[in-house]
Amino acid sequence: MSRMVEVKDVSKSFDGTLAVNAVNLVLNRGEFLTIVGPSGCGKTTLLRMIAGFEVPSAGEIRINNDRVESIPPYRRSIGMVFQKLALFPHMTAAQNVAYPLKMRRFEPAQIPSLVDKYLQLVQLGDYAGRYPHELSGGQQQRVAIARALSFSPDLLLLDEPLSALDKKLREEMQLEFRRIQQELGVTTINVTHDQREALVMSDRIAVMNEGVVQQDGTPVDMYRNPENRFVANFIGMTSLFEGTVCATGDGVVSVKSGNVLLQARSNDKVLPVNTRVDCAIRAEQIRIVEDASVYDNSVFGTIEHRIFEGDRIVYTVHVEDLGGARLHLFDHDPVSHKEYPANERVRLGWNARDLFAFQAPQSN
Amino acid sequence: MQRNQIIRTRLGWTLLDGVERLVSALWPARFKGSVGRVLLLPAVLLIGILVIGLGYMIEYSFHELDLSTYRLKDEYSLVNYAVIADRPVYMRVLNRTLLAALIVSVTTVFLAFPYAYMLVRTRSALTRKFLLIALFLPFFIGQVVRAYGWLIILGKQGLINSLLEGLGLPTLNLIYNYPSVIFGLIQYMLPFAILLIVPAVAAISEDVELASEGLGANWISTFRYIVLPLARPGLIGAFVVVFTLTLTDFAMPEILGGGTTDFIASAIYDSFFQLSNAGLGAALSMILVMIGSVIVAAIFYLAGTGTLGVREQSR
Ligand SMILES: Nc1ncnc2c1ncn2[C@@H]1O[C@H](COP(=O)(O)OP(=O)(O)OP(=O)(O)O)[C@@H](O)[C@H]1O
Ligand SMILES: [Mg+2]
Repeated sequence: MSRMVEVKDVSKSFDGTLAVNAVNLVLNRGEFLTIVGPSGCGKTTLLRMIAGFEVPSAGEIRINNDRVESIPPYRRSIGMVFQKLALFPHMTAAQNVAYPLKMRRFEPAQIPSLVDKYLQLVQLGDYAGRYPHELSGGQQQRVAIARALSFSPDLLLLDEPLSALDKKLREEMQLEFRRIQQELGVTTINVTHDQREALVMSDRIAVMNEGVVQQDGTPVDMYRNPENRFVANFIGMTSLFEGTVCATGDGVVSVKSGNVLLQARSNDKVLPVNTRVDCAIRAEQIRIVEDASVYDNSVFGTIEHRIFEGDRIVYTVHVEDLGGARLHLFDHDPVSHKEYPANERVRLGWNARDLFAFQAPQSN
Repeated sequence: MQRNQIIRTRLGWTLLDGVERLVSALWPARFKGSVGRVLLLPAVLLIGILVIGLGYMIEYSFHELDLSTYRLKDEYSLVNYAVIADRPVYMRVLNRTLLAALIVSVTTVFLAFPYAYMLVRTRSALTRKFLLIALFLPFFIGQVVRAYGWLIILGKQGLINSLLEGLGLPTLNLIYNYPSVIFGLIQYMLPFAILLIVPAVAAISEDVELASEGLGANWISTFRYIVLPLARPGLIGAFVVVFTLTLTDFAMPEILGGGTTDFIASAIYDSFFQLSNAGLGAALSMILVMIGSVIVAAIFYLAGTGTLGVREQSR
């Protein structure tokens, strides 16, 4: 597989504050990478540097093996869809899509058929003559993507183009974007702060926080094997509590938290005895149990509140023994309709392989 | 403190509720739709008065001056218009005014655009502040004061000529000519044009320009195909305003022209107050109004901006 994009130790500072801090990313031809992270973590800045709208303060960016830091955007072969789409309001859908073709000096005779092809691709064949303000939000989205793709760029950049849509339309467009991306095989970097979108759409995910890429990998990998507390917490619904290692074994550690002893997974990291750790557990991996013997870990707690979400119920359980930690869990059997009221005392159980133990950041 | 805040908020709400109830008692909801129209009333009244004045002017322009009584004759005639067509001096003044309006409006819009663009797009707060102050300062200095200011600088014994004299160079005639009037007018019109162009530029999202660049357009193409078409309503508006303001300007040609380069407004003034010929003055005014209206209408027609893009831009 050939490398399409290589971001090496790239940093960007604005007035002395680091917006992007020594980021490394590699993207192969045809891959779909999603950068996900909280607001202000530097996603847009990173994307703008790849597109050429911003010059890195340090590091290098290679596209197709060529260094591009000093190449202006219009000489790069990159299609970008902006957060606010940035369609040209004085041009019809077709003129919008034709614009990059004209600017990049495509054969004029070729342009109409290309415009047609890409409008068909985004299922807007009948809307060619409409102006952006005559199109719905989803349709505008499609024009923007057709415009970014019509000149067959090496790379497609998406800066949260779906964030303004309502949930249902957004989920539709996610699948639509994915379909188009796979049909064309275009290398894509998508930016979002919606972890679900990242999991659904991507070949690979990079989680960013405060300008730093915390981890990157396949969606399954990111979900099952988070490398630190931030990633574990950011992806999925996760509860966190603190503890201290009191025994280490083969991939498993015993952690003392509050006044219970728990078996946890150390994720191939060596965690010596007495290391302070952050424990993380996903909501779907905790069960309310009668008989604790089938699970490696078990604690008693009181249901503090329950939230009905239709297809599931989310309980928040206050566990005195875990230093007063609050654990979130889904426990809903849609067949038996067994539910628990608030204030009920319940027993929780989960397995060692589902409880992550991460070395706590050194506090000083 | 929190308790206090809560009480204050509650009090605020109660007050607001009271005001709302009072308003709805005084102004039932069924009148709501007409509020906007009622607020338009003063403006409509003002324009109405203007139209009445115009009506009188039209009327005057068709009455010849009776030289024995220095009153307008009762019967209608086209004598005033004939006089204007007859005397080459009026044609000259008219041509001079139109040419000036054209030169001034084109130059001003040309100069105002980069200023407005910079004002909107600059990332430096300091630059923006400077540009804003430089923009509004001239408004505090009236046109007459500014024209005299130019006299002080450019006049026979003015700053520049004293400097030249001091250097042993021959002095120059910098005022009382056409170029100095044009120059003064451009300087006077620039802030108006900038103020009219700024909103048009501000309405262009920066992302749109970046998108254009990302799609393969260099800055010249981006300017040509994106910025210019989107700013067009503002540019045309500025052109029209500067054009009509120049067409009707009085002070600059009076002061900086020193009687050598009268504009049509000076001719109108002279007819009314020197010749005491209200009929002739009115006829000249009518010609000015007609020419101005036809040109503005032609611009709007050709530019295809029926409403100056007021609606289209806001969507
Ligand atoms: N032009 C700029 N000048 C100064 N600071 C900037 C500039 N652009 C971004 N920043 C700062 O850099 C940091 C990262 O911003 P960035 O826009 O990349 O965040 P983001 O991850 O895209 O956030 P969001 O999800 O809200 O879009 C922020 O703290 C922001 O204030
Ligand atoms: Mg962003």
